[in-house]
Amino acid sequence: MSAQSLEITPDEQRRLERFYFYEARLLDNRQYRQWLGLLSQDVRYVMPARVNVQVPNRARGQEDMLSVERELEGADSMGCPHREENYTILTLRAERAYKINSWSEQPPARTRRIVGNIELLVSDGQQSSVCSNFLLYYSRPGSENVIYSGQRRDTLLSRPAGFLLAQREVVLDYATIELPTLGLLF
Amino acid sequence: MRIRNLVNEDASLISRRCWSDPAVYALEKRGIFGRSWLFLGHESQIRSPGDFVQAYMCETPIILARGLDGGIYATINSCTHRGLPVCRADYGNTKRFVCPYHNWSYTVEGNLVTIPQESELSHQPDKSKLGLKRVPRVESWRGLIFGSFDASIIALEDYLGDMRFYLDAFLDRFPSGIEFMGAPQRWMINANWKLPVENQLGDVNHGAFLHSAIIPREAQDTIEKLGYSVVTTPGHGATFRLMPADAPVDEVAWGMEGLGGIFGGEEVKNYLREVQAQASARVGALRARMKGLTYGIYPNLSFLWSNTSFKVSHPRGPGKVEYWSWAVVPADAPEHIKRVLRTNYSSFFGPAGILEQEDAEVWSQQFLGSNIDFADDRPYFYGLGLGEEKIHPEMPGLVSVTANEFYARHFFSRWRDDLLTVEDAL
Repeated sequence: MSAQSLEITPDEQRRLERFYFYEARLLDNRQYRQWLGLLSQDVRYVMPARVNVQVPNRARGQEDMLSVERELEGADSMGCPHREENYTILTLRAERAYKINSWSEQPPARTRRIVGNIELLVSDGQQSSVCSNFLLYYSRPGSENVIYSGQRRDTLLSRPAGFLLAQREVVLDYATIELPTLGLLF
Repeated sequence: MRIRNLVNEDASLISRRCWSDPAVYALEKRGIFGRSWLFLGHESQIRSPGDFVQAYMCETPIILARGLDGGIYATINSCTHRGLPVCRADYGNTKRFVCPYHNWSYTVEGNLVTIPQESELSHQPDKSKLGLKRVPRVESWRGLIFGSFDASIIALEDYLGDMRFYLDAFLDRFPSGIEFMGAPQRWMINANWKLPVENQLGDVNHGAFLHSAIIPREAQDTIEKLGYSVVTTPGHGATFRLMPADAPVDEVAWGMEGLGGIFGGEEVKNYLREVQAQASARVGALRARMKGLTYGIYPNLSFLWSNTSFKVSHPRGPGKVEYWSWAVVPADAPEHIKRVLRTNYSSFFGPAGILEQEDAEVWSQQFLGSNIDFADDRPYFYGLGLGEEKIHPEMPGLVSVTANEFYARHFFSRWRDDLLTVEDAL
């Protein structure tokens, strides 16, 4: 995560943006079934928990002292990530939205996603590691309006029709969760 | 406002003010959180000397630590000099807790060892009297650690009473007990602390309705057919299914219906079958057939057996909860199986939970309803199944069908009596 992004052409960058902006528009328009079409069938979707960690003595004065990675209880940890999901669970979330008794989203929340800082970090032409930041404005009827802030670390597969999302790690900028739910599609 | 006007004699009518009045909350702090056993953590979180985790007793921050002598220590996380927290990490291992303001430093047991300023002064304060305030009573049972601010409270085992019979149906199923995974997930919810507690104490009834987008009706029918609700002591309760004696192992075994059983493949299934194969020998034939749903320990600890997590509803005022929850797994399961099993908690419960997102919404809405005006002549109706609970020949406590709200009436009877004690003393 510490190297500069790859030097790519404006067209290649545009191709990535086109994918992410389309994804954000589908989700804000509540077209979750179409969003599922952007996923690989073996997709892994992980949201690490984020904790307030102790500074180890040997890290004092080092860059590692403030390492974000040490704060994350991710899929490989023996802590408990907020989410570790496959295509089936993501489908369950998407389909839930269209049921009249999905009470926390009925009437549905209004959302607006802003995706930026899109960086291609590694690519072999077929598979790409892409990192992006997002702000998600969330307005639920009868509740306070909140902003979600975070980073997404994706693995995209290049297909003739466009990209497919094969892995996503969502790193949120909160330890204590002062948000109505982490169950959205980020 | 008088407490005796808020809850009627049989606790079938509960005033909206119980949930929203700041004066009630002030009484709850003294009458309940100052006088009960409160859950602090699990021994698996502090295995080695110097290990610590943070905890809360109501709104009071606590450091739970393993002392250098191997003992368990609970101290208030507030410096004796100016009151700052001396521990900022969620967990870790240390020799000293140091206050950031003037560097007063304390051992993990809470003893004050350094006042940097004292070398410049002629008179040194008596450091033995200036340690972190210790929680006067700390006891553990089956690895579950509780603390109490009431030095004269009954022993923890007596406080848990017959709930131990039901807790052991799960905890004692595993030869090495259970383990808490990682830091608690902490979630602020705009609700009164008692509603998450009531929900987990015995409210199976909402499942078929609030969660009908996810839980199939047939699953809920099975729960109602095989389900029991039990109150051992007012405020403590359990709900579970008692599976038929001839039910196949895959229907009885804990975890098989969860995501571990569904996505974990044959290896996880075989592990779960193996646990069930030992269950009769470990917990007896009756408890081996139990498939737990929700448990509650007065005042604010919950155990969700069906999705294996422990939860604590920490109040933050009448209308806010800091809800803590941990995924719980068998301590001796292989690591890769633990990682699969934890998803049956996190996918459905906790801040991202596909089920609990609905619960948090209605808990918040209930607080809004409890805080409205012109409706005090419409207390909440808690009378469903009044008087229908009975003694059972094999299972301790009062037993009934899950639709009976006696678990909540017993909770509020105890709640009322606890508050009356401190109100009368005013």
